[in-house]
Amino acid sequence: MADDIRRWSDELAREPGSLVFLQLGEALRRQQQLEIALKIALRGLERHPQNVDAHDLVARIAVDRRDFARAFEEWESVLKLEADHVGAMKGLGYLCFQHGRFAEAEWYLGRAAVGGGGPDVTSALEMVRRSSGGFIEPEAVAERPSDDPQWLFADLLVDDGQTALLLDGNGYVLGGLYIDQDGNDLSQEIGAQLTGISEEVRRAAYHLDIGECRSITFETEVAVVGMAPATDQSLIVVAASKLTPLGLLRRLLERCVERSTQWLAKGGTT
Amino acid sequence: MAGEGGDDLMSPYTPILESLTRQRGVRASLIVSEGDGLVVDSNLRFGQDGDRVAALAASMYRKARLSAAAARLGSVAFLQLDAERGRICAAGGRGDLVLVVVADPSANVGLIRVELLRALESLE
Repeated sequence: MADDIRRWSDELAREPGSLVFLQLGEALRRQQQLEIALKIALRGLERHPQNVDAHDLVARIAVDRRDFARAFEEWESVLKLEADHVGAMKGLGYLCFQHGRFAEAEWYLGRAAVGGGGPDVTSALEMVRRSSGGFIEPEAVAERPSDDPQWLFADLLVDDGQTALLLDGNGYVLGGLYIDQDGNDLSQEIGAQLTGISEEVRRAAYHLDIGECRSITFETEVAVVGMAPATDQSLIVVAASKLTPLGLLRRLLERCVERSTQWLAKGGTT
Repeated sequence: MAGEGGDDLMSPYTPILESLTRQRGVRASLIVSEGDGLVVDSNLRFGQDGDRVAALAASMYRKARLSAAAARLGSVAFLQLDAERGRICAAGGRGDLVLVVVADPSANVGLIRVELLRALESLE
């Protein structure tokens, strides 16, 4: 391996535009020389921005460096360039699983399985299904995730621990998902419990003559939570990790309100 | 109650409430008992009904605390309601006392939050 690395390094030095950076970067990654591997991969990506393998390599190095946001970004770039790239779908499935986003993990791994991902994808898919307690047929997971109300806010929630729910006036879930740190779906429970706050807040706003309530934000021991009324007496609940700045939470809340308004205007379809 | 009349009595809470009411856009600051919604001390601008604010804010804070606990989110440290014509911020700790601020919509809520949490520390 050391000889290969030397040979590929020499080749890259002679010809900086060569694709040999892919082999060199991967070899360095396997040897856990992650910072050098990243440097080589990024330099190669600069020269070959449309190369899916270059994005894939950067993503894999990012995972090893535990830079999951970067990995997510790179694999999404891969899928923009090559929609059925099995490696990217496997990678995204893995990332979603690690973050407790089982439904999305199942969707990506399901697509990877349909694309011929092999036995490791099949066993990963089984593990995700065991963790999520559900089972979805491969034909069903091949559909776009945004068709399912559970994924209504999926593309708006990018960071670890962010979750969003759309509730009707009675506290029933219309869309979105609430997953706790252990990956449990608490949507119904959270919906029922938090709807009570919004009723109390409406009452306070009315009696204090401060006009219509626009939003409620509260900080707890483990999370920051934002709630805002949406159309048809519905309510948006967004929760994020305690480290999330309140300003960012409010922006996220506004985006989720906008998304739900559009979704409800179309009768609850995307 | 501090700030409501000329013959104000100084209470241990007066400096806390004064520092809160000094913030731009703050209409009222109160220390409220969460359990019964009664005013412990307050610093109000003209026109504010302290008893009503206290009862409603305490009720809102209590509901938020109970709901958050039931939803396994832990205890509520800070709560903020934004409405068309005003804002209510509340902060509570381990005890029964809740600090409440009523402010204009244009008030700097970031500063109010910092002051509230700081005041809460001195309250505990």
